[in-house]
Amino acid sequence: MAKIELNNIAHSYNPHDANPLFALKEMSLSWADGGRYALLGPSGCGKTTMLNIMSGLVTPSHGRVMFDQKDVTHTITEERNIAQVFQFPVIYGTMSVYENLAFPLKCRHFADDQIDKKVKEVAEILNLQDFLKNRAKGLTADQKQLISLGRGLVREDVAAILMDEPLTVIDPDLKFRLRRKLKEINAKYKTTLIYVTHDQNEAMTFADNIIVMDEGEVVQAGSPKDLFERPQTTFVGYFIGSPAMNLYECQADNTNQVSLGMNTISVQTNLDQKNTSNLKLGIRSEYITVEQSSGPNTIHADVIEVEDFGNYKLITAQQDSLRIKAKVKREQVVPTDKVFLKFPAEHCCIYANNKLI
Amino acid sequence: MPKLYTFIKYFCVILWSCFVIAPFLWAISTSFKDFNSVTGGATYIPWLQFEPTLDGWSVLFKPGSQGGINIIGPYFNSIFVTFTASFISIALGTLSAYALSRYTFKAGFVQNNDITFFFISQRIMPPVVLAIPFFLFLSTLGLLDSLAGLILVYIVLLMPIAVWIMVDFFNRVPKEIDETALIDGCNPFQAFFKVVLPNSIPGMIVAGLFCIIFGWIDFFFAFILTFTNVQLLPVKIVALNSSITPWWSLSAAALVSVAPLIVVAFVVERFLSKGNLSGALK
Amino acid sequence: MSLNLGNIIFKPTEQYHLNDITLNFEPGKMYTILGRTLSGKTTLLKTIAGLLSPDSGYIQFEGKDFLAIPVWQRNVAMVYQQFINYPHLNVKQNIEFPLKQRKMDPNLIEKEVSDAIQKVGLKGFEERKIQELSGGQQQRVALARSLAKKAKILLLDEPLVNLDYKLREGLREEFKKLFIGSEASQSIFVYASTDPLEAMQLNGDIIVIDEGKILQTGSAKDVFENPANAKVAEITNDPAMNLNKGKIDNNKLILNNEIQFNLPSNLQSMPSGDYLVGIRATDLYLDDQGFDFQVDISEISGSETFLHLHHQDIKCVATIEGVKSYEVDEHVKINFDLSKIYLFKESGELHYSPYQN
Repeated sequence: MAKIELNNIAHSYNPHDANPLFALKEMSLSWADGGRYALLGPSGCGKTTMLNIMSGLVTPSHGRVMFDQKDVTHTITEERNIAQVFQFPVIYGTMSVYENLAFPLKCRHFADDQIDKKVKEVAEILNLQDFLKNRAKGLTADQKQLISLGRGLVREDVAAILMDEPLTVIDPDLKFRLRRKLKEINAKYKTTLIYVTHDQNEAMTFADNIIVMDEGEVVQAGSPKDLFERPQTTFVGYFIGSPAMNLYECQADNTNQVSLGMNTISVQTNLDQKNTSNLKLGIRSEYITVEQSSGPNTIHADVIEVEDFGNYKLITAQQDSLRIKAKVKREQVVPTDKVFLKFPAEHCCIYANNKLI
Repeated sequence: MPKLYTFIKYFCVILWSCFVIAPFLWAISTSFKDFNSVTGGATYIPWLQFEPTLDGWSVLFKPGSQGGINIIGPYFNSIFVTFTASFISIALGTLSAYALSRYTFKAGFVQNNDITFFFISQRIMPPVVLAIPFFLFLSTLGLLDSLAGLILVYIVLLMPIAVWIMVDFFNRVPKEIDETALIDGCNPFQAFFKVVLPNSIPGMIVAGLFCIIFGWIDFFFAFILTFTNVQLLPVKIVALNSSITPWWSLSAAALVSVAPLIVVAFVVERFLSKGNLSGALK
Repeated sequence: MSLNLGNIIFKPTEQYHLNDITLNFEPGKMYTILGRTLSGKTTLLKTIAGLLSPDSGYIQFEGKDFLAIPVWQRNVAMVYQQFINYPHLNVKQNIEFPLKQRKMDPNLIEKEVSDAIQKVGLKGFEERKIQELSGGQQQRVALARSLAKKAKILLLDEPLVNLDYKLREGLREEFKKLFIGSEASQSIFVYASTDPLEAMQLNGDIIVIDEGKILQTGSAKDVFENPANAKVAEITNDPAMNLNKGKIDNNKLILNNEIQFNLPSNLQSMPSGDYLVGIRATDLYLDDQGFDFQVDISEISGSETFLHLHHQDIKCVATIEGVKSYEVDEHVKINFDLSKIYLFKESGELHYSPYQN
């Protein structure tokens, strides 16, 4: 186990050209030992490049990769003590479950009794103890994926387990079991788990620290709650949560007030002089409330549509070019023509050039 | 460390290339030698180490009366038989493979997979086992020593290859594509020809390549089933053998006989490099 | 003009794939077939399309025997959950394929195709190869092909299920607009889905199917409020409605002999006895005065957190608004909104719904 640090990492596939194109823009990240991380972003955002840099499949064109202060930038994958779990379970179908789990230790010439002890311990954690003698081929998809994971767990020297979309091929019913197992394993073994996915729900369910990437950059790193409540960029506001964050262009009136079309909205952000160009106000649909009458921070808008989702209602309303989506309780009575919608100041986020102030 | 690794890597590649190219170069140089230069120890450079001569080549084109074997007739026979048989095998093989992939056949315990295996099982038997039945069939039909007879036999031999490759190929094409074509107003035949077939060209090319190679190199059946009227290239080349092996003519004949395969390989390679084979279907 | 299915049975193996299906579809209406994976949704759609022949039963369309007409002569369109297009044709050729097949006037084809491309937002992509498109765009092509055909029956088999979360969110809204209120609104739309939210949003008639049998049909609101039985209540809610054994005894509502409530006023008239007690995840809430539950796992879905909980043998899921993190086995206090309790008979049939009458 180890602390993994990426120091000023950047990667370009053509670093020697005059204008190199960066798949990964310069960044520094550190992954604490025993953490539960997710690397989240749409396809092509650079998360796979990042994963490959950590596992050693790609040598970054700039920067250093450190495992416990040791420079491993040029160390090949086999010598990095990284375990990987892929989308499709990798199992040795002809071997028994026991042999599958023992394989990494056998290859490293551990003593038989040591192997036996470790395999049985891991099998118990993974609920595979009753299947040890079975052929790995006949197991269910989630059990197979657990074996892939187990081969990482049997080795005590593993610095981190990297998982690339590990639940993609797993049935929805089984996903639930596997997710819980992953969390338990992390709690028991304190192994650093790094989970790569494009699915925000997967990431937020699994990790306590999420690194959101977009276009080769880390746009935000934080807890699921942070990402949801205080998105650092407008991209995160769009990408996290459903429906996406409402975003509007606005002008700063004074230090804590903006104008939004014909409305004045007070905010808790301190708007000083230097941050007044290209401003946007962002607010989550669930924080907007329906009011009976006009008041501060309230927008009077035409109701376009009210969709009943059963558990909640989604109001789509419009005032000039402002299109507002508000998520309210099912019991909430919504007028059919015009509605007063309140933007609570504490939930308004202000972005300058798409970055949170 | 990385330098040494690179060195070893390239060394291996070059070694392998030599291994592949050397026989060719050897055959080319031998084909321009005569008895003395072949038996007089290893020589490599023409004019300097040996006097090149066209004798080896001219034997191939001289009529028998002048001591040659005249391969031109057999050469075209071989081309005609191989390509016709391959073409028919691909056509029939693709159709049967499509049926085997898409429809369920059942006769007792015999199912689709068994039928596919039945096709390929003919290639499992040693050719000798098939020789006598084929001989009797053709003689009954009066097709011994004829091009038609040879084509018929070659179809029997090549179609299993086509079926096997194409069944596997069609199994990877989602059935929903055919269904969409049906929904879009195609009857099953239109669906096959307008939608399935255009997407199967890569598979058919691979299958065709195998058919042509296997058909072209066959000596055994050509030898058994033909006598004087029709002769194929491999059989004719064997006629070169006499008490003194004419290595120079054999080399020339070998080069002439691989020529069509090289042309086919070249065309397919061009097709491959255009990315037509990969990615047509995910 | 309507489409009628009568007593359709399809039983290719030991199990029924379709079990005595009788349904009526009216033109200009949207139908959502809601059911879990392998419940028979796809089989039903394929039977309507003519790709499968039922063992018995009849299908009538516009008064004619539909079963006597082969697929390629039925005027239907279908969009699959896999992105199915013709790989050897470009975008435009893909969309015009069915029209050319029908030998339509080339000028008219040109117009219809460009209309359809416009509608699905693929302008500028006409000459692209299918392989060069993203998953979402490929599905748009399939959709455009179905729209251009102006088929009288349009079948959509979970068209969004294989798309990324954010893409799904956007496309779902577009779908609704494309099909409802367009000039093609004289067609019959049948949309198969596993997602209750999707069914609620499309807001058409819902047909609940399970193990090849129709469990309930009715408007989205009606099915949501008054599920015919416990199975329907599970299928039409995400997360599934919490169902626990319980009884009414001595003016008390007792769950699994473990949790007791004073009988709320709305249930006063219920006779004593054993019931299956149902309550939606959204009607469970955090409350310091509540009952002690242990977290199995917390799952994040969009802007909500699903808490999977247990209290001895009672298992339930609670939906918490917003993104929250809970550790495995953490203790939480949960209470029940008793005004939203459903009662089902032990056989599963609905006995009491809070929305009755």
